[in-house]
Amino acid sequence: MNNKSKFLIIAKRDYLNIVKSKGFIIGTFILPIFWLIIIFLPGLLASYFFEKTEMRIAVVDRTDKGIGKDIVQSEPNIFFLVENSQNELNAKILDEKLDAYFIIDNDNLKANSITVFTKGGGGVAYITTIEKVVGKAFRKHILQEKGLDATLIKHIETDLKVETKKVTKEGTKKDYTTFYSFFGYFAGLLLFMLIFLYGGFVMRGVVEEKANRIIEVLLSSAKPFDIMLGKVIGLGSVGLTQILIWIVLLSVISIFSTQIVSLFLAPQPTPRNISPELTAQSTFPANIEIPPIPFDFVIFFIIYFLLGYFLIASIYAAIGAAVDQEQDAQTLMTPINIIFLIPIFLITLIVANPDGLASTLLSLFPLFTPILMIARMSSTTVPFWQLALSVILLLLTILLCVKISAKVYRVGVLIYGKRPTFKEIFRWLRQA
Amino acid sequence: MFALEVNSICKSFKEHKAVDNISFAVEKGKIFGILGPNGAGKTTTIRMIAGVFFPDEGEISVLGERSVEKIQHRIGYLPEERGLYKKMKVIDQLVYFAELKGTPNTLAKQKARLWLNKLDAKDWENKKVQELSKGMQQKIQFLSTLLHEPDLLILDEPFSGFDPINVEIFKNVLLDLKAEGKTILLSTHIMEQAEQLCDDVCLINKGKVILKGSIADIKSTRSADTVICEFYSNGAELPSLTNVKILNRTQNRLEFRFNPSEFNIRDFIKELADKVEIKKFEITTPSLREIFIDEVTKGEK
Repeated sequence: MNNKSKFLIIAKRDYLNIVKSKGFIIGTFILPIFWLIIIFLPGLLASYFFEKTEMRIAVVDRTDKGIGKDIVQSEPNIFFLVENSQNELNAKILDEKLDAYFIIDNDNLKANSITVFTKGGGGVAYITTIEKVVGKAFRKHILQEKGLDATLIKHIETDLKVETKKVTKEGTKKDYTTFYSFFGYFAGLLLFMLIFLYGGFVMRGVVEEKANRIIEVLLSSAKPFDIMLGKVIGLGSVGLTQILIWIVLLSVISIFSTQIVSLFLAPQPTPRNISPELTAQSTFPANIEIPPIPFDFVIFFIIYFLLGYFLIASIYAAIGAAVDQEQDAQTLMTPINIIFLIPIFLITLIVANPDGLASTLLSLFPLFTPILMIARMSSTTVPFWQLALSVILLLLTILLCVKISAKVYRVGVLIYGKRPTFKEIFRWLRQA
Repeated sequence: MFALEVNSICKSFKEHKAVDNISFAVEKGKIFGILGPNGAGKTTTIRMIAGVFFPDEGEISVLGERSVEKIQHRIGYLPEERGLYKKMKVIDQLVYFAELKGTPNTLAKQKARLWLNKLDAKDWENKKVQELSKGMQQKIQFLSTLLHEPDLLILDEPFSGFDPINVEIFKNVLLDLKAEGKTILLSTHIMEQAEQLCDDVCLINKGKVILKGSIADIKSTRSADTVICEFYSNGAELPSLTNVKILNRTQNRLEFRFNPSEFNIRDFIKELADKVEIKKFEITTPSLREIFIDEVTKGEK
């Protein structure tokens, strides 16, 4: 029998084993929802928690210029006017009848500063709110005194809107730089999670075969390298299947995106008491428009998934072979995980300046390539030679890793008992 | 014609020499037993033959091939520690292992069904392994080693974990396979099993061969020094037994070994006949187990 096809039989088993499982079906359809939550929830929460406060804050206006009224008008749920003395207000705070108060007089206005009295603590949200609301009221008053009219003041208070256009051979096009940078960040993160998810499958599979002693039967049936390769290819194909399903889903959704988005957004008028700048600043873009995702990006997402996965999976297979049970693998995995976690912290920098020298070099470093290159690709046009070079460098690294891992796998898979240290694993390498 | 030749193999784990210069040959179409106590080096020897790992020194030729990898599909290996994929269906598992050994998918499925039927295990086909009892799992594992019709079966402690009924079933399976011309190598520490099943044996202890040959040959070199007698005692006292090694003694049965220079067997028979009614009296060669113990103690002296 042809030895070449043995790894295919092994790959087929591992592939079907996962794809047929309930977990895969659930994961494929639940994970995207989970992802949407991860993407949007922090933004929504941040705008809610950091800029909204549940405190009731008393305002004592001693300026007789109506500034207090302006403040109360812009956030009537938080601020209210009082005319008590400071002693009375202090007593109310001690009795816990009042969360906070501040006094505005002409000196405050001149110095552009106020003092807020509270019972202490209370988080930062109320400070942010006071800064924003009171600052705006102060600026408005000063500009009014200089004789500016209301429409002009409103104009000054609005943030500058920057629209970017992309010059192409077919003329200028709308450029979605902001969207793509945002998208690049999450594409990188998604890639990272997928690579480690499927790498983890490989590790667990190897440990299972070792712990259940199936490995002995396998070793009497196929070469160790074929067993390892079969497992890596089989589980990688599962990942590929999942990505392809998502691509199909995403294309279907993007075709109907305008309908879907309008369905969700149209019946929601902006609540009146939320100031316009709060809405504009929330992470969620106000005008939702899903720009097209370029085809070459999709192709490279798949290429970098496969390459990154191969790298991690071969290392994880060796780790799985070296230990007797999953818990023991953790110590060996940590240093490797840390190296691969670095690009996650670098994504924001890369996305901010994707064409810089640092970005280019970092994204060409093979261990960082999959995540950083995908982030760069989404935020700029990466020259083709860089993509080609990164793929070649990655392939060479994989070749080296697979060679070392196969040796560790071969020796480790039959050794039971004590959890090996890195030192012992290096000794196996010399042995094999 | 040898199905397997093992030539001066050695294997060490760190300081411990598990297998120390072991040689033997297995004739085609015979059942060959590797016997020895726990920790003698049986499993290590078998793993090297099965190609799980390689000897440090020496050579193994399986079915005429030096490299086991070339004839993997012609051997069936049952490891000492059994293992199956717990969440896989019985039928899928059997087909998978047969496919790995080069049997085409549909043929493997046919054969798996055939064997499950033969062992009254038809209902297990679509069960997951983890739903089966230990003994049932053993059966499945046994099947997985012979589904691809290997020329050489390598079985490490094949009957451990089986109840007597299943031991009988699989003994007969092995004898059928032998009749078909297949070669079987098995290891066991239960000498009685080996005595019933094996043509040739190799006794090993502490990594070394201490005795090998056909069971008939090994026995023929021993003098008849074992007495097996059965009787109706009715509570009567037996003649005194001094200078003998008692192997088994119950109310109606006595088994012992004697040394002719120290023990007068004629006097014993006379005395016994006076006291009890003898049902059976036999003087025979020692059992394999006794021979093995003799050899081990001889070696230690």
